[in-house]
Amino acid sequence: MRRSGTRRASCSAALGVGLALLLCTAAQGAVRWQVDSATSQLTFVATQAGGEFVGRFPVFTPDIVFDPADLAHSKFSVDIATSAAITGEAERDKLLRGADFFATGQWPNAHFETRSFRAVAGGTYEATGILTLRNVSRELRLPVSFKPARDGRTAVLTGTATLLRLDFGVGQGEWADTRWVGNEVVIRFALTLVRLPHQYFHS
Amino acid sequence: MPMGNTANSYGSLAKFLHWSVVLLIIVQYFLAEKAEELPDGIEKLQTYTTHKSIGILVLLLALVRIGWKLINKGNPAPAGSGALKAVAGATHGLLYLLILALPLSGWAMSSAANYPVGFFGWFQLPALVGENHELHETLEEVHEFLFNAVFLVAMLHVLAALYHHFIVKDGVLRRMLPFVRP
Repeated sequence: MRRSGTRRASCSAALGVGLALLLCTAAQGAVRWQVDSATSQLTFVATQAGGEFVGRFPVFTPDIVFDPADLAHSKFSVDIATSAAITGEAERDKLLRGADFFATGQWPNAHFETRSFRAVAGGTYEATGILTLRNVSRELRLPVSFKPARDGRTAVLTGTATLLRLDFGVGQGEWADTRWVGNEVVIRFALTLVRLPHQYFHS
Repeated sequence: MPMGNTANSYGSLAKFLHWSVVLLIIVQYFLAEKAEELPDGIEKLQTYTTHKSIGILVLLLALVRIGWKLINKGNPAPAGSGALKAVAGATHGLLYLLILALPLSGWAMSSAANYPVGFFGWFQLPALVGENHELHETLEEVHEFLFNAVFLVAMLHVLAALYHHFIVKDGVLRRMLPFVRP
């Protein structure tokens, strides 16, 4: 009786310690956020014949793990359906998805994944990550702003990055002429984040 | 030739504004036809860009022209009398309206398709309307209709000028001809 009682006690102690460890790990792991797709958007600003136009990527699947207090475990990983890119005009959309630009027949998605974060100022951070577009991977620095709601349940994550389309081969042949289609493309996003309950996960 | 109009002839500015718009609208027709035929590529983009720049130029010239007409009081007296005079007045009014509406509809049509409109690379114009696919389709038809309208009304205008010149023989055509002294 005594022996088995001791064993039960030590068992529950071990379980308690294990549980505490688990909770501790979970508390340390950065926070995972769900993105509200209805109020989130990913757009780009490009120039043609010297004039700007705005296009959108309506289909993208972001996986956001972010905690200002734990930048080491924070990570963004997002698949962007370049095959769904829209610019407000059907012919230009067709061209953009075609072989000379996104070549979505071969590569229907672009992928961005962060490698590290650095705090810049209150609420702003600089992410460094790898963007893969048209099977070309390049490092991209992405300044972001993270504004949590007072209750911490939701947050707004915005960011802007400028990239050179020709670095990724977007614009083949005559389209490499930057006088008619500007090389610089500004990527903008504004995401509404909803905090997911604490859970243990591998990151 | 004086810059301003006189009682029996248009001045050099009025003539310049009249004929430059005529020439530019003819160029516009061929540019639009060419752009439409071209495959998607830089040349198509260039052609449409030129078409849009010239369209804005037409709009500016039309505005200057209307402004000049309003401030330059010594216009030649309208030709004809009675019903013909009324038809001439209506034709002229319609032409002024069309040379404003034609570029405006093109500008709005580009805006509705989220296409930028610039002026020979000097500056960009703001979007007249927001992105709207159906509106773009409608405006494309409106733009084409307005061209057909300006073509028909201009033909009537040409026929009237020829009628004045060869049948009435009243010198009405000569007062708008370039390099012709009254």
